[in-house]
Amino acid sequence: MPDLVLDLLKYVFLILLYIFVARAVRAVFLEMRPATAQSKTPIAHAPARTAPPSRGSRKAPRKAAVIEGENLRGKTFSLDDDLTIGRAEKNKLVLDDSYVSQFHARISPRGETYVVEDMGSTNGTYLNKRRLTAPAELQRGDRVKVGKTVLEMRK
Amino acid sequence: MQATSRRNSELRLLFMALIVGTGALALVAVARDFESLGLAAPLIGAVAVCYIGATIFLRKVARLADPLILPLAAILNVMGLAAVYRLDPDQYGPTQVIWTGVGIACFVVVLIVVRDYTLLSRFKYILGFVGVGLLMIPATPLGTEINGAQLWIKVGAFSFQPGEIAKLCLVIFLAAYLAERKELLAIASSRLAGFHVPDLKHFGPLLVMWGISLAVMFYEKDLGSSLLFFSIFLVMLYIATARLVYVAFGLLLFFAGAFVGYTVFSHVRVRVITWLDVFDPRYIQDEGYQLAQSLFALATGGLFGTGLGQGRPDIIPAAETDFIFSVLGEELGLMGTAAILICFMLLVARGLRIAMNARTDFGQLLAAGLTAIFGIQAIIILAGVTRLLPLTGITLPFMSYGGSSLLSNFILIALLVRISHQTSETPAPAETAEILIGGRG
Repeated sequence: MPDLVLDLLKYVFLILLYIFVARAVRAVFLEMRPATAQSKTPIAHAPARTAPPSRGSRKAPRKAAVIEGENLRGKTFSLDDDLTIGRAEKNKLVLDDSYVSQFHARISPRGETYVVEDMGSTNGTYLNKRRLTAPAELQRGDRVKVGKTVLEMRK
Repeated sequence: MQATSRRNSELRLLFMALIVGTGALALVAVARDFESLGLAAPLIGAVAVCYIGATIFLRKVARLADPLILPLAAILNVMGLAAVYRLDPDQYGPTQVIWTGVGIACFVVVLIVVRDYTLLSRFKYILGFVGVGLLMIPATPLGTEINGAQLWIKVGAFSFQPGEIAKLCLVIFLAAYLAERKELLAIASSRLAGFHVPDLKHFGPLLVMWGISLAVMFYEKDLGSSLLFFSIFLVMLYIATARLVYVAFGLLLFFAGAFVGYTVFSHVRVRVITWLDVFDPRYIQDEGYQLAQSLFALATGGLFGTGLGQGRPDIIPAAETDFIFSVLGEELGLMGTAAILICFMLLVARGLRIAMNARTDFGQLLAAGLTAIFGIQAIIILAGVTRLLPLTGITLPFMSYGGSSLLSNFILIALLVRISHQTSETPAPAETAEILIGGRG
C-alpha cells in the first residue's frame, strides 16, 4: 500500500479514537444529570394523590418545615422565593449530609402553586416516599425527603 | 427506563470501541501485507462477539450498572490487543484473544456467582489467607523464574501469575476488615512515642497481613507488586479512617523500605541508577537498554506517531508486557497515548464515583480499593516506562500481554459493575424498606 494512503489512515484512526473519547466523556456528563432532561416535561401531580388542579391552588402550602433531620429540625422556610436545597453553601437550605448532592432539589412557585423538582441529584428526592421522576405540584401536608432530611409543607 | 438508557449508551460506546479496535487491527495487518487482513479478521470478530455477549448479559443481571465501565475496559483491551498483535501476529496475538475471551467469561461468572457483594465480607479471613497463600506459591519449588523475578507457576504449557488474583483477595479482605473496625482504628486509644495510635488488638492483624505480603513480594523480587500493595494498603487505610497520620507513617515506612532495598539489593540499585542517567554508557547496552529503547520509541513517535505497524517498537525487550505503552507511543504518538490516558482516567473516575455512591462501608472501601489497584498499577508502570519514576515491572491493566493480568482485571470490573448495580437498585439509605412496602402496596 502506498505510504501516502497509510499516512492518511493514521490520522483517520486517531480521529476515530478521539470520537470514542468524546462520546465517553459525553456519556459521563449525561450520567451526572439524568433529571435535567426530564425537567422540561410537563408538571406531574404529586404521585401519591390525584386531586383536581382547582383544589391544588386552594390548598397550596406557604412554608416548608423541617420535621426530620439532624440540627435543622423545627426550622421553617418561606416558599415565596425559590427554596434551593443541597450541600453547597449557595443553597438556601444547606444540608451537611453525604447522601445529598451539591445542588439537590428546588421548590419554586409556579403560578398559584408550588412545584418541587429534583436537580439531577445522585440519590434522588422523594415526595411522599416516592422518588420524583418529574417536577411535581405540592399540597399542604406533602412530605419531601432529601437525604436524611424531611420537609413538611404547611400553610 | 433509566436502566434501558444506560444499557443502550453502553452498547453504543461498546460499538465505537470495537470499531476503533477493528481499525487498529486492520491497520496493523495492512502495514504487513494484505493476506494478514484475512488472518486478523476472525480475531477481532471473536473479541467483538465476546463483548456484545457481555453487554447483553448485563441487561439481564445488572441492568442498572454503570454504562462506562465495560466500554472503557474494551477500548483499553482492543488497543492493547492491536499492539500485541502487531508485535507477534502468530503466537501472542491469538493467545491474547483467547485470554480476552476467558477474561470476559470470568466477568460473566463473577457476576452470576456474586449476586450480592456484601456477602463477600463474610469470607474475609478465608480470602485473606487465600491471598497470602497465592502470593507464596511462586516462592515454593512450584514456581518458575522468568526475567529475574519468581512470580509464575507452570501448569503444563501455561504459566500463571497467582499474584494477580492475590491482589483482589487481599483488597476484599482489607475492605471487609476496615469496614468492620474503622471507628476503632480511627480512635487513638494508646500512645506510642508521643503519637496517638490505635490498640494493637485491632491493628495487629492488618500489620501481620501487610508484612507477610510485602515480605513475600520482596523475596520474589517483585518490586512493582510490593509498591502497588503498599500504596493500596495506605489508600484504603486513609479512606477508612480519614487520618493523615497513617499516611505520614506509611510514607516514612516506604522511604525506609526503599532505602533498605537500595542498599541490600543490587537490582534495586541498578533500577535507580538507570533511572537517574538512562544513557550512562556503563549500562545502556544491558541494564538500561530497555528503558533507553522505550524513550527512543516515544521520541520517534512524536506528536502523531509513525502509524500503526510502521514503527520498530519490537526493539524494546518485553515490549508486549511491561512496555506496551511505549509501543503505542511510537506508532500513535502523543495524541494516541493521550487518548489512552484519558480512558484510564475516566475508568478510575467511574470507579471512585461507584465508591462514593455505594451504600455500605464495605462497598465504598471495596470499590475504592479495586479502583486503587487499577489506577495505581497503571501509574507505576506508565511512570516507569516514561522515566518519571524508577522502573518497577508490572503489567499495564487490560493492555499488556498476559492471561493472569487480563483475568484479574476482568474480575475487578465485574465487582465494580456489581457494586454499582446494587447501589442504583437501592435508591437511598433509609428509604429501602419503605420503598419495598410502598411498591407492594
